[in-house]
Amino acid sequence: MKRNGLVRSFVALAAVAVIAGACGGGGATTAPTTAPESTAPESTAPETQPPATTWKIGYSNAGGVGNGFREEQVCTAKAEALASGQVSELTVIHQNADAAGQLQQIRDLIAKDVDAIVFNPNDPAALNQALEEAKAAGIITVSVDAYVTNPDTYNLYNNQVEYAYLGAKWLFEQMGGTGNVYYMRGFAGHPADSDRHIGFQRALGEYPNITVLPTIDGVHTGWDPATTTQLISDWLSSGQYDNTQGIWTSGMDSQVVDAIKSAGKEFVPIVGADLGAFVTQLLDPTGFPGLEGAAVTNTAAVGGAGVNLALKLLNGEAVQTDPSASQPNTVLLVPVVAENVTDAGKTLLASWQSVPGLDPNWPLGLQIGGWTTYTPEQAITCKGPND
Amino acid sequence: MSAAAAAVDDARARPADAAMAFVRRNGWTLGLLAFLAVLLVYTRAIQPTYGVTGIQGLAISVLPLALASVGQAIVVISGGIDLSIGSMMALTSVVAASQMKGQGEEFGVGIVIAVLALGLLLGAINGSLVVLTRVPDIVVTLAMSFVWAGCALLVLKTPGGGAAVWLKELVKGSLVNEWVPKAAIALVIIVAVIWLPVQRSRLGLSLYAIGSNQLAAFRSGVSVGRTKLASYMLTGLFAALAGLSLTANTGIGTPVPGPYTLTSVAAVVLGGVSLAGGRGGVAGPIVAVVILQLLRSDMTFLNVNTNLATVANGVILIGVVMFGSLIQMRRARA
Repeated sequence: MKRNGLVRSFVALAAVAVIAGACGGGGATTAPTTAPESTAPESTAPETQPPATTWKIGYSNAGGVGNGFREEQVCTAKAEALASGQVSELTVIHQNADAAGQLQQIRDLIAKDVDAIVFNPNDPAALNQALEEAKAAGIITVSVDAYVTNPDTYNLYNNQVEYAYLGAKWLFEQMGGTGNVYYMRGFAGHPADSDRHIGFQRALGEYPNITVLPTIDGVHTGWDPATTTQLISDWLSSGQYDNTQGIWTSGMDSQVVDAIKSAGKEFVPIVGADLGAFVTQLLDPTGFPGLEGAAVTNTAAVGGAGVNLALKLLNGEAVQTDPSASQPNTVLLVPVVAENVTDAGKTLLASWQSVPGLDPNWPLGLQIGGWTTYTPEQAITCKGPND
Repeated sequence: MSAAAAAVDDARARPADAAMAFVRRNGWTLGLLAFLAVLLVYTRAIQPTYGVTGIQGLAISVLPLALASVGQAIVVISGGIDLSIGSMMALTSVVAASQMKGQGEEFGVGIVIAVLALGLLLGAINGSLVVLTRVPDIVVTLAMSFVWAGCALLVLKTPGGGAAVWLKELVKGSLVNEWVPKAAIALVIIVAVIWLPVQRSRLGLSLYAIGSNQLAAFRSGVSVGRTKLASYMLTGLFAALAGLSLTANTGIGTPVPGPYTLTSVAAVVLGGVSLAGGRGGVAGPIVAVVILQLLRSDMTFLNVNTNLATVANGVILIGVVMFGSLIQMRRARA
């Protein structure tokens, strides 16, 4: 008995060695490319010499790890931190978590004593408690890709309402203003998904003869390729695709195209995002005959732009915000739509493929005018100041 | 030596024996506590600013998983396992959040009581299915995890709802001393009020008995079915408390279950509870939860990929299970 107790104590203490060993490793993130620049309001920041490399920045991405958009977002954040020459340390937490888990991520960054925290929020309101704690600690907070309701946090994101509206309007026009649309949304509860739903509904209101399938709320892909493939495969095998005249996707687009092609069905008009694979499909009439579609820009460079915004705020520079946004302190990036039906649209799509070696699952937009300073190569390299 | 002198020596020896017996009984948990202490010192060394704020944040963040792990430990001690605990947390959390939104503070008290009752009910359904169908616990609770997750999505399609201010304040900040987080106090009180009386009661003895040897327990007069049902009800109750702590932490309810089910199993194993049942307590799993979270924080402080913490958790679990098996083998040979 005595021996067993001692052995148990030894076992528990042995875990120290295991953990200490685990602490010695390192991780890496893969990388993307460049192309369309989303437009953004001009910053009123004065021309100044960059301050010395003194700022410590934390970055929290708590969802979509492995998703091309999120990976590129993190890489642009690293690239901007490096290119700015002002960041001594960039701490990146790139790990899937629920809202409670992201709260802890932000608290860890507060405990790490960073000067600013840039994050992609899992929920608009759930992080407010930690954001208040950050403010109390004198830390600047910037939400990217979606907004939070904390009034002291700056928001920088693609205008998701407009993103959905532009794509849906093109789709409904392409359908002749009538027919059934399979509505494939993103991650349930994510602010970007909620905003896109508003934009989609706004377009729908202008086209009363369009019917949304399977219900007005659509289906959620979770921005997960596997889930998307499963959903579209079910739709195809159930025969409901035969009664569908258009598909709106929230960025999980190339998987839908591939599934339809594999099923040997004729394509219906499809709307997606500016992901490399989808744009390539749109510009490949031989590989995908009859495919008509439109891509809407949704730059993942919001990660880099968020770091840039945080640095502006740390340096005391003025930032022009958009008063039309739903939250204060918000910078909205305006999306652009390009289709493969007209020559002008094809030319625009082709211009987005300007950088070779693009990972097909990554958005083409690597830079945002006025908000990013790194080169495409720096983003592709995916190295931060302390990597 | 006279008999009197021997008695005096014996009396002197007793406290030392009692202390040694305590150490032997709680060797695993004490080892974990020692490890936690080392880890805290290490954390302070790599992040000198880690202090009150860090400890308070740590306490709040571990509360849901700690409560889930206590629930999981109870059912594992009784020889079962509950793979629906994460889904029960999601369901109880969204029920609480959806009902509290826009309601008065007093109304929130009623909601909390109702949610706790809901937890007991969910556990009772799980337990009844296990007892009545005789289908293995792992299959029943895995299936029920889908049922409860679906119910959560029926209650709230997307994260939302609200939480009473008093509920949020219950786990936020500190009490008496800034180094004593309210979340830690809440955890200690909950465990002391619910688990300790049960553990010391006939029911507690029965839980350990059916976990050790169901047949022997049955022959000793223990009602195996009722005890199993009680264990699942207790687990449901702790799942509801964990769900409420999630709502208190975030101020909303999230219908998609978080990574709590498997992490609670990991904490139970790391906490020294035998997956074969009949052995362990709830203190070990609680300390294990704190260690797992602190390890993750340290990865952040070291600028190491935090996903490696998950790898480390797996490595630790494998190591612990291997050592556990080794102990069992040595015990069998002895």
